[in-house]
Amino acid sequence: MIFPKWTNSLPLVLLIGAGLAGGGVAAGVTYYLTPKYTRAGYQPVQPVPFSHKIHAGQLGVDCRYCHNGVEKSWFSNLPGASTCMNCHNQVLKDDPRLQIIRDSAANNTPVPWVQVHIVPDYVYFNHSVHVTRGISCVACHGRVDQMDEVREVKSMSMSFCLDCHRDPAANIRPPSKVTDLGWQWSTNAAEAEHLQEVNGKKFVHDWKVESLQSCSACHR
Amino acid sequence: MNHSPTSNSATGKRYWRSLDELADTPEFKDWLHREFPVGASEMVEDGQSRRNFLKIMSASFAFAGIATLGAGCRRPEEKLEPYGKQPENYTYGDAQYFATAMPTRTGAIPLVVKSYEGRPVKIEGNSLYPGSNGSTDRYAQASILDLYDPDRARHFKHDGKVVSREEALGFLDELSKKFAAKSGEGLAFLAESSTSPSRARLQKIIADKFPKSQWFTYDAIDSGIHQRAATQAFGRPVKPVFHFDKAKVILSLDCDFLGGEDDSHNHIRKFAAGRKAGEGMSRLYAVESLFTLTGASADHRLRVAASLIGQIAQAISLEVFGLTLPQAKSAPVTVPAGLDAKWISECAKDLAANPGNALVVTGQRQPLEVHLLALAINSALGAFGNTIDLMPSSLNANGSVYLSQPAEIAGADLKNLDSDSIDTLIILGGNPAYNLNWSSKAKSVVRLGYYEDETTEKSKWNFPATHYLESWGDAITSDGSMVPVQPLIQPLFGGLNELEFIARIAGESQTSAYEIVRSGFGDTDENWKKFLFAGYVQSAKAVPTNDNGKAIEAPFIKSYSPPSANGFEVIFYRDAKLDDGRYANNGWMQELPDPITKMTWDNAVLISRKTARDIGVANGDIVEISLNGKTVSGPIWTQPGMADYSLGLALGYGREKAGRVGTGVGFNAYKIFFGKYIETGATIKKTGETYTLACTQHHWSMEGRPAVREANLDEFIKEPTFAQEKFHGVEPPVVQSLYPNPLDEAKKTALHQWGMTVDLNACVGCGTCVVACQSENNIPIVGKDQVKRGREMHWMRIDRYYTSDPKRKNNPSIFDPRSDENQTDEKQQFAEWIDDVQAVNQPMLCQQCEAAPCESVCPVNATVHDQEGLNVMAYNRCIGTRYCSNNCPYKVRRFNYLDFNKRPLTELKGTIYSTTLTHKTDGEWDLLRWWKDPNSGMRSEDEWDLIKLSKNPDVTVRMRGVMEKCTYCTQRIEHAKIAQKAKAGASDHVRLSEAAGTVPKTACQQACPAGAITFGDVSDPDSSVSKLKLLPQNYSVLADLLTKPRTTYLARIRNPNPHMPDYHDPFSTEEYENGSLTKKGTS
Repeated sequence: MIFPKWTNSLPLVLLIGAGLAGGGVAAGVTYYLTPKYTRAGYQPVQPVPFSHKIHAGQLGVDCRYCHNGVEKSWFSNLPGASTCMNCHNQVLKDDPRLQIIRDSAANNTPVPWVQVHIVPDYVYFNHSVHVTRGISCVACHGRVDQMDEVREVKSMSMSFCLDCHRDPAANIRPPSKVTDLGWQWSTNAAEAEHLQEVNGKKFVHDWKVESLQSCSACHR
Repeated sequence: MNHSPTSNSATGKRYWRSLDELADTPEFKDWLHREFPVGASEMVEDGQSRRNFLKIMSASFAFAGIATLGAGCRRPEEKLEPYGKQPENYTYGDAQYFATAMPTRTGAIPLVVKSYEGRPVKIEGNSLYPGSNGSTDRYAQASILDLYDPDRARHFKHDGKVVSREEALGFLDELSKKFAAKSGEGLAFLAESSTSPSRARLQKIIADKFPKSQWFTYDAIDSGIHQRAATQAFGRPVKPVFHFDKAKVILSLDCDFLGGEDDSHNHIRKFAAGRKAGEGMSRLYAVESLFTLTGASADHRLRVAASLIGQIAQAISLEVFGLTLPQAKSAPVTVPAGLDAKWISECAKDLAANPGNALVVTGQRQPLEVHLLALAINSALGAFGNTIDLMPSSLNANGSVYLSQPAEIAGADLKNLDSDSIDTLIILGGNPAYNLNWSSKAKSVVRLGYYEDETTEKSKWNFPATHYLESWGDAITSDGSMVPVQPLIQPLFGGLNELEFIARIAGESQTSAYEIVRSGFGDTDENWKKFLFAGYVQSAKAVPTNDNGKAIEAPFIKSYSPPSANGFEVIFYRDAKLDDGRYANNGWMQELPDPITKMTWDNAVLISRKTARDIGVANGDIVEISLNGKTVSGPIWTQPGMADYSLGLALGYGREKAGRVGTGVGFNAYKIFFGKYIETGATIKKTGETYTLACTQHHWSMEGRPAVREANLDEFIKEPTFAQEKFHGVEPPVVQSLYPNPLDEAKKTALHQWGMTVDLNACVGCGTCVVACQSENNIPIVGKDQVKRGREMHWMRIDRYYTSDPKRKNNPSIFDPRSDENQTDEKQQFAEWIDDVQAVNQPMLCQQCEAAPCESVCPVNATVHDQEGLNVMAYNRCIGTRYCSNNCPYKVRRFNYLDFNKRPLTELKGTIYSTTLTHKTDGEWDLLRWWKDPNSGMRSEDEWDLIKLSKNPDVTVRMRGVMEKCTYCTQRIEHAKIAQKAKAGASDHVRLSEAAGTVPKTACQQACPAGAITFGDVSDPDSSVSKLKLLPQNYSVLADLLTKPRTTYLARIRNPNPHMPDYHDPFSTEEYENGSLTKKGTS
């Protein structure tokens, strides 16, 4: 007998093994290498359980109250603890959950927030040029006003950026409505879509929106 | 097909870049035909073969694979840490700009410094300053790197041991009390010159409080001689300010006012203003021994030993007096042997024919008597009040407190420095143990210094000094305005401000530098704020006090015999990069090619070709120079245009204790320096050893194509389009492409089209733009060994071409200057012409071709065009094939071979380069460090932290294996566009306009003192760049290749005097005309 008995099952084992290995590679590539899945859904635990749902959603605090650099700088600005204390020296002033904030404001030590939305260092994204020209926060960050803890909803990949840069009319809106995350052209979905298309094209034309797709737009 | 002529075609060579090129040696040919030098693609010179390299790499990949399994699975968690207390009026991510100034020896450079998150990243000139075009000099551009130098003095030290700041300050207080009791007996100060009014006041307080103390001022490079001469001639404390813009005829007597003199950036600006191509353009005569930038810009250049220049000045003065002062007794004019008397008489005639518009300047290395003589000539020419202003240089009328103390170099004053009577010597800055023949007998030496250097070892107490960007201060610019020195950052290593240091010794109650400067300024808080905002205030005292027509007695200059092989002349000069040695540890400066020799990381003994042949030496041969019983050894470098039997020695090299970058670079010429910049009677001896110098001169030769075009003024006026017309036939005709360019379509919708012009008529080749570009674009240094391999990373370079008389070309032997048959009379003839060269400078940077050859060969589309005409580089796509560099006709692309940004400064020396597998940092294997933090380079912790601070956050720091090049400062363009769009909001006012001042300046343009570089929107007909491109002298380099460069050049115009004996067309155009152009295109 040249082949021992166990070799009878070898083709099956090889087949299953190859299937598993191939599937693993495919899954790995899909997860790690395709932009579509990059980071979307990432929701780290923050040092302070700050709820955007309460502040932005229920209380209706404008995004720019805290993220006050968003119209001036590439960075939207993370508020200093002193900004929090503008209200919280009255509201919930002894809440233990806010201890880190109070310490930070008192000692000028930073609060170690965990970054949720990350673009690579070689990407020079600029907030100011987007929000002043009618691209809403919601276009990239989703309905933050409905999130207790912020999570990443869009992939923030290059193709994500390019999708919009190839068709800015689909996302552009009046600059006054940029921080109104739930805003629609109309409550009627079909009409909203139509108005978006018509007005979007008009804005892009009237404001000379370039929405550049050249390398130099983002990489320097 | 037509091809551009090459250097060895029958039509002849036009420009040669170095002596080797002229010699057409096989080595040079080899250089020319390889894109990178031999071994550039090898990892190391010896030891590591390609096979070995593969072994190491496969091992690295294996390790990397293992590491990825562990580290790569989890995404790193990144923190965002905001302020605890939000600062008011501050937006994170937006750059802030502060006005400040860099103090120099005789003035200050008003600056605006860009700061990100509290750290200064880029130095620019203050364009608000009256008369300024916002430019700086190269030293100011590089000085920001000194701020982040890991080798800075960090500790207060007593007897070599670290002590606390409090203890050290306590010592100063004790010192003050001790000497107050003795009225300062035994106390001496040794300071570098300064124009700070606050320091002058403190100095006065010291003099009042310690009447028996002594104060010595010294500079290793003496720039104060202009002030000393004027003060002596006019009998009151004044210093001359030269207005090169108002002069029609300028005579430079060994004065490198465009290069080595203090305040050169102002001189360049004014000189360029007076050299606008066309009628009324000024004329420059240069008499000099070294070949300097001033000589390169001169219309007539007389090559003569520096020690004979006094006699030439004398001869010119006699001619001028004879022409302008009829009552003057006519003395017989004698001219040093071997010189053309007609040169001198015609030059004098030209000067005398322009009364009030003529200017004679004398070099700072020339002795006082020559300066006095030049002042007498200027007075006879009516220069005062016209081309020279005399500014007061004293705080009070009797001149007892100088704003800028004229320095003494080993003068009578400094003789007392090593007397026994000095008990405590206080050293303020400077490095006397290195650059002054100083042996102190003082019991105690207390030193405030920026580095732990040669002087540190000789001092009992050492105080770390602050950088000017860390300290409060003030200064007076050369034209008399007061400027603030305003800090942008807290002292990184807790250094001590000079003003505070002196105030403590003076026992002042107010020791805060801010308060000292503020109280000295006086005035209201409102005006103080304005002063800090604008960065200057015009002083009421800064009014010129000219008395023209004052008879200045012309001193008699005794004649020297010309230097010969028995007694060489030695010229010590301020190095274009290291100054007096203070920038020795500044990597940008070390790697900046010298403007003339194009040498990096070294100095050399510069000699003329004739002298080299005489003593039988070639480039790189080490010789020993003996002068007054002392010797120094250094390598020979043959410099065209040098005076015969003169040896040019750059000061500032050979530092024994400079730091990681500067220690042991070059040789120390101070060893034979005794305070005179021109010495005679030196002897020279071959040692038989040789040394390799790293020059960038051979790199990327243009192979004789008419890259630089020039003409004389009269010819230009007759034929303004010469730059285009004349070179028809020299270059093949420009034919249009058969295929459409995709950019032409994209152009239609783009908002702007960027372009640039470089005015070769304005450019003097000072190199400020190169350093500015390095600073703005995070360009790493690579080290001498890598420069030798042609791997320097500068995004822009300045090509320097020499031209020479074409008529001599018919003698074939002269093209091999080292061959034996030249050791004849032929040699004399040969030496005569080869040494009288003309030079031109051409800044060369990415030409942003519309039809870029680099783009079509990139296999991964890493370099492509954007719609605004920029040839952009996507670093992340680049896989490092270097095809683009091969296909670039301008050779402006740079490849990062060894991850120079992460390589420690000590690892730049070669020839074996360590990898992460073979290198330990801070006692830990790099592979392990890399495992923990993939960003960590091989740099030690202190270097790494500081290098990160120094980088411009707007520009990607490129890694190994990536091609990079000039981007037209795309980060500045994008910043300006975004700012405009954010301002426009829901409107269409998105276009940048030059009229509104929203078009950005590139870093090189911004820094250029001459204003030679103009950048802007070529689709806007009203922009300056569009207007310049319409000028008749505008041309493209290598236009026949149909690359359609966006960077074009304005041809250079010379303005020689037709009456001069050496009048001729520019050598290059003569050659083109003499060359049989009809033979073109037959190849």
